[in-house]
Amino acid sequence: MKCGFCGRTLPPPDKLRQKPCGACLGGCRKIHCPWCGYENPMVPGLLRRWRKKDNSKEND
Amino acid sequence: MAVQSEVCPAERKIVLVGNPNVGKSVLFNALTGAYTVVSNYPGTSVEVSRGCCEIEGVSYEVLDTPGMYSLLPITEEERVAREILLKESAHTVVHVIDARNLERMLPMTLQLVEAGLPVVLLINILDEAERRGMHIDIPLLQEKLGIPVIGGAMARKRGLSELRQAIASYNPDVKAVFGYSHELEKDLAKVSRHLTDDYTLVPRSIALLLLQKDEDAWALIKKAEPSRLEAIEKAVNDTIYERRMDLNLRISLERKRICRAILEEVIHQQADRAPTFFEKLAAWTINPWTGFPLLLLVLYFGIYVFVGKFGAGTLVDLLEGGLFEDYINPWVIDLVQKMTSWYWLRELLVGEYGVFTLGVRYAVALVLPIVGTFFLAFSIMEDVGYFPRLAMLVDRIFKKIGLNGRAVIPMVLGFGCDTMATMVTRTLETVRERIIVTLLLALAVPCSAQLGVIMGLLSEVPGALPVWVACVTLVFLAVGFLSARLLPGERPMFYMELPPMRLPQARNVLIKTVSRMQWYFLEIFPLFIFASVLLWAGKMTGALNGLVRVMAPAISALGLPAKTTAAFIFGFFRRDFGAAGLYDMHAQGLLSPRQLTVAAVTMTLFVPCIAQFLMMKKERGWKVSLGIFMMVTLLAFGVGWGLNLVLGFTGWLA
Ligand SMILES: [Zn+2]
Ligand SMILES: [Zn+2]
Repeated sequence: MKCGFCGRTLPPPDKLRQKPCGACLGGCRKIHCPWCGYENPMVPGLLRRWRKKDNSKEND
Repeated sequence: MAVQSEVCPAERKIVLVGNPNVGKSVLFNALTGAYTVVSNYPGTSVEVSRGCCEIEGVSYEVLDTPGMYSLLPITEEERVAREILLKESAHTVVHVIDARNLERMLPMTLQLVEAGLPVVLLINILDEAERRGMHIDIPLLQEKLGIPVIGGAMARKRGLSELRQAIASYNPDVKAVFGYSHELEKDLAKVSRHLTDDYTLVPRSIALLLLQKDEDAWALIKKAEPSRLEAIEKAVNDTIYERRMDLNLRISLERKRICRAILEEVIHQQADRAPTFFEKLAAWTINPWTGFPLLLLVLYFGIYVFVGKFGAGTLVDLLEGGLFEDYINPWVIDLVQKMTSWYWLRELLVGEYGVFTLGVRYAVALVLPIVGTFFLAFSIMEDVGYFPRLAMLVDRIFKKIGLNGRAVIPMVLGFGCDTMATMVTRTLETVRERIIVTLLLALAVPCSAQLGVIMGLLSEVPGALPVWVACVTLVFLAVGFLSARLLPGERPMFYMELPPMRLPQARNVLIKTVSRMQWYFLEIFPLFIFASVLLWAGKMTGALNGLVRVMAPAISALGLPAKTTAAFIFGFFRRDFGAAGLYDMHAQGLLSPRQLTVAAVTMTLFVPCIAQFLMMKKERGWKVSLGIFMMVTLLAFGVGWGLNLVLGFTGWLA
């Protein structure tokens, strides 16, 4: 997934060592971009597989 | 290392580096074929692939590193990638870049070369660039950079044999050097003079990292030459003091300048090819003359028409007016009345502040449709790549009012969520900037949910929205201007890389919107329920009435009915909850257009929600955050009072 603000590719959430923002009940549901700090929404499990299918088409 | 021998017995190593999505993995597979091992890099959770290949009878071990944007790491991935570069002593480092984004990616090539690494540059996805009418003079680029440069398209194996050839014939003794400005070179020499140990990187490159406050580089120095540490620290600090400028920024700007100069003659765009619509649009968005009208258009169609008219009008009417009012509410109220005769329980479930009639109804029927349409508009703007351009545009205004341009980032983020934006103020250099930005965030930057509800609410009343926009903007500019005057200090320039603009992808937009709505719902639903229980308890014990009496003078000074107090109390739980309370009162016909506008302006300026206040306390401490809280409250009610007078005097929105 790309950061919605600076456009850089975000590391997968499990690889991203980040402090929770403290505002979300029951764990953080946002991915804070390590480069610019923008909060990207965490994609729920169901949609994640759909997105993966799309990503595999990309050049990497 | 144990992993190595399992993969292959090679002595020479090829390390692949580059941004994510430039085709590194495709190249890795093309080079190594089937025999690869994927394992975690020692001591981390980051995966690194290793494989084997043979070129002209010599066998090589190939390492695919995690994506990195710069030699100065921020993420764990980048840290691992750099560590591989530092520790694995590569025979060749293949830097893979995307031909379509040469200018953005070439600065890292410079970093790798100046670090003294044996770099081969692979310009990938060349076919796509050529299709866009771009011609890249690869021999000239190779001459200018002084390293082997290969163009290709790895997905089609184009350029693969040339790359293998370049690796086989690589001569590590020939090193390229780029000169920075005279001043920076002098600074670098001053620091690198003190470095005597034998490092993987050349001293000049280590000096660069030290000047950019790279923690790993400092740790390395501490270990390698403890006796010289003091002298090195002094040289670095003197330089930083002398230049009085963010060295990070200065170095990256210089690198950009060199890259631009290199690319000037290397890239040729076909003469007959006019810039695409998106290239033109991208330029318009950051030019103030076209940028602000464009911003107004975006706000008008994206927010006013789509969120206001469609979301807050049509959808809310359907859900709240149709579904809840006509079917669900009567049925639930009837059910509760049949089941229990206890007054307190009935009040708790379906009373004035009932869990169902207030909490559930607000969350599902009022806020969700508005916020849903808002998130859809927000996700489209995000996917197009509009936000960083908005930041650049706003930067010009910020400079005019004497504020720091870099404060733009947390401000723009504040429109997503102020709590997070308050945390991002950490990235600002001085305490002064942090305080000003925290104050402005608490005062005049509504978060996305509140903005959505207020826009939806006010667009129902002709003339109210322009007054609201004018008031909030004015307060923002005035307070920003004053606080920047009162707390003078340095103003480093703002610089940001702009990703290209593009057509929004339906799938991306949908995923983002749904994710945001799910996050929002999980977040607000418990809070709305909790708030209605608290209000119910307040009503039953009479505490609420007491609070209403205390706030009565302030509320009536604003010319608002006493019932508005409840909406202000909602607002403290969450900004959008308060706006929903106003919406409800408006729907019941309890507010005149003038009262609605005054209440909306006051509430936008008034207190941040609890979460934001706690974050403020965490970041700035009790004293500053309480000070900000008092100031915001006074200003909000003062402005509301003034606005009410002005509206009454002029007869607008009567
Ligand atoms: Zn980002
Ligand atoms: Zn969070």
